[in-house]
Amino acid sequence: MTINLVAVFFVAAGLIAAGAFAAAWRRDLTAAVAGVPLMFAGAGVAFAGVARFAAAGGPQLFGQEFAVVLAIAATALLAMGLGIAGREGPR
Amino acid sequence: MDSLHAIGFYVSSGVSLAGAMGVALLPGRGLRGASMAVVGVGLAGIYLSLSAGFVAAVALVCYAGCAFLVASPLYRPLEGVVGPMWRQVGAIGAAALLAILAYSAFRGDFVHAGFYGGAFGVANLGRLFFAHDALSTEALAVLVLVAFAGATAAWRVRERTR
Repeated sequence: MTINLVAVFFVAAGLIAAGAFAAAWRRDLTAAVAGVPLMFAGAGVAFAGVARFAAAGGPQLFGQEFAVVLAIAATALLAMGLGIAGREGPR
Repeated sequence: MDSLHAIGFYVSSGVSLAGAMGVALLPGRGLRGASMAVVGVGLAGIYLSLSAGFVAAVALVCYAGCAFLVASPLYRPLEGVVGPMWRQVGAIGAAALLAILAYSAFRGDFVHAGFYGGAFGVANLGRLFFAHDALSTEALAVLVLVAFAGATAAWRVRERTR
């Protein structure tokens, strides 16, 4: 049993499609925004997989660097989206 | 790449994909938040098995934050204006996207390279973040600052107008 780039890409494809499905299917906009971090997670997995198996030229850990950027940006965008969508609570 | 890494990768992938389907399908914000946390745990496992320990730690923290945001009871549900037919079209589009990406993944194993980084790779990543790509790191910091400040400002404006 081994890991190769195809397996990593399949997992990334599943995460991206699940995020797109969540964003399209949820009726509630604040729930649909939660699909964005899933898509970013899939992209991050693909970048980390390329850094691990196929980074022939350039900085070898560039994919890992971009995966870090994507994870932080996903959190920031989710906070921004939920902040715009609205907040309610006890006053 | 030994089989222990491979087992960890495939188990983490299953956990992550199950969590992603939970985010998409489960009712209730608490369950969706828990599913997002499961996605984060699975994602950290995937990164660890890909020799990206620092990315795993960052993903764990970031997706814990996402889970907290999704599960928070302070956000009101906001109904979209898109009808059921367009939602079904969107779901079919997501399935088509999966098919295209799966085909691309199947054809993607055409390049191989050796990996000489360590299991964690913090020193090399630090060199990339703070020397090679310092400008993009600054841009990311600005993005995070603007996002959180904007979210806080949006909440305050909404509270005042209520």
